[in-house]
Amino acid sequence: MMDPKETTREHDLDRDQANEPEPRWREVNQRSPENHAAEADTELAMSVENLNMYYGSFKALQDVSMIIRRNKVTALIGPSGCGKSTFIRGLNRMHEIVPGARVEGKVLLEGENIYASEVDPVRVRRKVGMVFQKPNPFPTMSVYDNVIAGIRLGRKHKKSELDEIVEKTLRQAALWNEVKSKLKVGGTALSGGQQQRLCIARTLAIEPEVILMDEPASALDPVSTQKIEDAMEELKKRYTVVIVTHNMQQAARISDYTGFFYIENMGDPGKLWEFDETDKIFSSPSRKETEDYVTGRFG
Amino acid sequence: MPRETFQQELDRLVEEVLELGREIESCLGTMVQALETHDTEVASRELGVDARYKERGAEIDEECLVLQARQAPVARDLRLVYTVQAVTNHLVRAGTLCEHICRSISETADAERDSDLETTLLEMSHGARDLFRRGLDIFEARDIDRARDLEAADDKVDLLYSEAMNLAVNPDKEGIGSPEWRIRAALTVHYLERIADHGVDIGACAVFLVTGERIESAMRQYRDRNLDQYDD
Repeated sequence: MMDPKETTREHDLDRDQANEPEPRWREVNQRSPENHAAEADTELAMSVENLNMYYGSFKALQDVSMIIRRNKVTALIGPSGCGKSTFIRGLNRMHEIVPGARVEGKVLLEGENIYASEVDPVRVRRKVGMVFQKPNPFPTMSVYDNVIAGIRLGRKHKKSELDEIVEKTLRQAALWNEVKSKLKVGGTALSGGQQQRLCIARTLAIEPEVILMDEPASALDPVSTQKIEDAMEELKKRYTVVIVTHNMQQAARISDYTGFFYIENMGDPGKLWEFDETDKIFSSPSRKETEDYVTGRFG
Repeated sequence: MPRETFQQELDRLVEEVLELGREIESCLGTMVQALETHDTEVASRELGVDARYKERGAEIDEECLVLQARQAPVARDLRLVYTVQAVTNHLVRAGTLCEHICRSISETADAERDSDLETTLLEMSHGARDLFRRGLDIFEARDIDRARDLEAADDKVDLLYSEAMNLAVNPDKEGIGSPEWRIRAALTVHYLERIADHGVDIGACAVFLVTGERIESAMRQYRDRNLDQYDD
């Protein structure tokens, strides 16, 4: 006699469990920060613990804790004024350049708090490089000199060594093929997108651990943007990248992890509202405000 | 709220799916009625609906594609567009199966039947129609707590399926119906089981839409967690 049940559907497998308690969808859906911390320990580039940041008496950022993973791109998104740029400046002690600015909490780089009193901020900035929104090559320097501007400040290098660094970093920044025949022309003679990649190469020449990018492609056309994004794909093989972006699709395309910053009420400090894998943030974020923001329903 | 036009487009999309769903639900109602009454006229009313359902399904698919291209939906919007496409697929397939059954009824009107098999088949048709309707209700109301009840209801349909197939393969000596009718009945049993499954799947789509979690993976995660505890 044939057994017709064998021909029927897949979820028959579940039959034996029919008396089990119901699945708890919502709970399964959540990931706790503790789990993140545990799994990430070995691949940590930086870790931020309970960071508060101030401009004078104004608290711009409150109680931010975040893990930045090695060889990954972490994107920071959120509405204007929510503290993303402030936060990223807190990662290499650029924040304190602003008069009256101060920081509470810890930012660990290789296990060391960069805000510890004995730490030299210049050393921090060599390890954690920054690329800004507007390309800012040194106007009086050639392409070549721009790339090595940072390392010139350090120990002496041989000419052949410098040549090697220039080629290597320009390749990593996906610019080499476009500028190899005009290394001696002024840096500002390049197009906007090329200038931005030149600035990336200049940052790479110092051999930082982490590269911070504050809206690096917001002033560029789509083709240049795509080249920056391609460069980033290359970069994360060697470096850790943290990028602030207002372009949600860019965050979705290039990043592995996404942090959403948010201010609940005008005048309140910004907070890290949700932090998760980028796939999760853009498919089913855990918090309503994140979903409203990424779907464009915000405000 | 920003993106008002986009929201209207999404709402319209859901309306279209529900409209198509309700139409197919009524087609299922007609099918059940025709099975009960052996009324070929009622059954033949649904002949040819399949092509229309497929066309409507293709239109909805097209709209989803254009929305994705133009609006780059993410998060709940992305889940909605994805769910609309999946649900539409289930609806159209259920509609096609319903038409097959109606055709079978209209072509075997005067055939000799097996009353036991027919009784089981009728019971199954009620179960399948109800499951389909409940799946659609859950999708409309996004009432995911009711989605898990669907699995239990589907178990009942599957049980009837086994019973009907046994009857089809091992008939009593007397009153076993004409060979053609038996084959058609066996196919109908299979179609009904599929329709019930589409109902369950539509409910599961609603769970994904609301939570972003696949009902199967939620079940699996839950079971895996229990197994880990046993290992300890």
